[in-house]
Amino acid sequence: MTRAVVLGGGLAGVLAATVLAGHADEVVLVEGDRYPSGPRPRRGLPQSHHSHVLVAGGARALDALLPGTVDALLADGAHLRDLPGDALIYSADGWFRRLHTGAHLISCTRGLLDQVVRRRALGGGDVEVWEDTRALGLTGDEVRVTGVSVSRQGSPPETVRADLVIDATGRRSQSPRWLAEIGAADIEEVSVATGLAYATRLYRAPVDLAATIPAIMLHPGTEKGRPARGATLFPVEDGRWIVTLTGTRGGEPPTDEQGYAAFARSLRHPIVADLMAEATPLGVVRPYRDTVNRRRFFERARLPAGFAVVGDAAVAVNPIHSHGMSVAALGALRLREELARHGMGPSLFAGLQSALAEEAERSWRMAVEQDTQRAGQQAGDRVVERAGRDGAPRREPNAFEREIRTRLAQAKLSSPRLAAEFFGVQTLISAGTVKDRSEIARVLTGRPEPLLTDEEAIGQYPALAAWRRTRLAAATG
Amino acid sequence: MSLRISEAVIWQETGEGVSLYHTETGDFHSLNDTGSRIWKLVASDGEREPVMFKLSREFAGSNSAMSRRIVADVEEFIGTMIEQGFIEEVPAEQPAVKEESLS
Repeated sequence: MTRAVVLGGGLAGVLAATVLAGHADEVVLVEGDRYPSGPRPRRGLPQSHHSHVLVAGGARALDALLPGTVDALLADGAHLRDLPGDALIYSADGWFRRLHTGAHLISCTRGLLDQVVRRRALGGGDVEVWEDTRALGLTGDEVRVTGVSVSRQGSPPETVRADLVIDATGRRSQSPRWLAEIGAADIEEVSVATGLAYATRLYRAPVDLAATIPAIMLHPGTEKGRPARGATLFPVEDGRWIVTLTGTRGGEPPTDEQGYAAFARSLRHPIVADLMAEATPLGVVRPYRDTVNRRRFFERARLPAGFAVVGDAAVAVNPIHSHGMSVAALGALRLREELARHGMGPSLFAGLQSALAEEAERSWRMAVEQDTQRAGQQAGDRVVERAGRDGAPRREPNAFEREIRTRLAQAKLSSPRLAAEFFGVQTLISAGTVKDRSEIARVLTGRPEPLLTDEEAIGQYPALAAWRRTRLAAATG
Repeated sequence: MSLRISEAVIWQETGEGVSLYHTETGDFHSLNDTGSRIWKLVASDGEREPVMFKLSREFAGSNSAMSRRIVADVEEFIGTMIEQGFIEEVPAEQPAVKEESLS
């Protein structure tokens, strides 16, 4: 009889367990907490109070793993927003036009997403769930993991034999230590600090805007040497909005009532502050600072057979990029493919970790590139010594290069093809390796599209524009 | 074989010389005075020989050693540009030059 044990009952663990249920005779899912009875935040998941969106690539993967899950989420109140067709986005280069690109996101609370996924993944009884159970370590040696040591509900440690152990315990994973304890190789680890902090609050939305509100994203500007500050507002289930304010070092969002409102008011545009002022706060402002990009290169080590790591335990990117849940789903889909190809035997273990790492690669590269760039801008490019491909220090861009970069950045605000390319990469539905050369040439050699004014940008969303006009009229008497 | 500037390249002559942008790779390149001169000759003539001839006449006069060095330098420059995808070699009968610049 074959047995797989998955450590960690968050999204990555639940999805891995449900995939394994098709290949192992017995699958045990070990979770340190008890699951909440409803769509509420989980005690062991502090980030569950914050914004969680599923980007298009992740939504597709989730539906491939558990068909009908996206529809179930939408039926339970999640919102689908096209990017940027249903999103009011003020990027550093200007406002996006309302373009339909095929990229989208699903917005709901993490509690709802987890509950819907758990219901569909674990409801059939193919996975045995051990709640309130702590994982203590691995058993076996540097050649083969043979099981795990766990403590169930505070009981003395017990050993559970397993043919495959998967670590899905997230950012706090102890796998490097556990592997060292059984004599396996050290795991190389890289951290890229972001300096980013954020603070989140839920609101009851005004009834007339609750369902029609676009996703709103105010990105930081490009002022060098100043903290990068921004905000997002996403609609979630039950007529609520989730507002997240972000700031880098020296510009962290406060968590007190007045400070939070003032921070929103001080951003490049007051739309989020205006909406917050008209909504009803639900609960406190919750801070979050664990935004470091951290990757453990398990795939580079000689891992013992019968062991793999998925989700944030291996690659955890700054949550601001909204990739965590989606990469978890893509990783589970890849696990399913590898299992279908190799079965749960020795030929699976040889390349499994590399295959899983491949699924996280795009997200990792994008997050590190964007966060490094932002850190450079904040420090006036002093901190980050940007280098060219040959490793030589990068020269200061000349006027031609600045012009090209500005034109390309502004062109993606209005070019459906360039916007599709950009959001396709951001939402993990394309790798971005093929550039739309003819469109790039067109936007660089033709007359640039004018940038939208604030009023034109908001005017793309008639309900929001009408609400704002009414509000301004009332304010001015 | 003729030479032509890749359709993937946007270029502009600036006060500092010729600046290039490759739309597929995203690479920028700034050419020095000599590179800029060769680039413009490739753009206008589309053949190796006229480029070499004009530069030799301009800089080497009747100095054959200098002329050989110029030929070698031009070959190296064009080879590098071809390798990096900025210049393409095409059969002689195809149109040799396509110029894109910022409007």
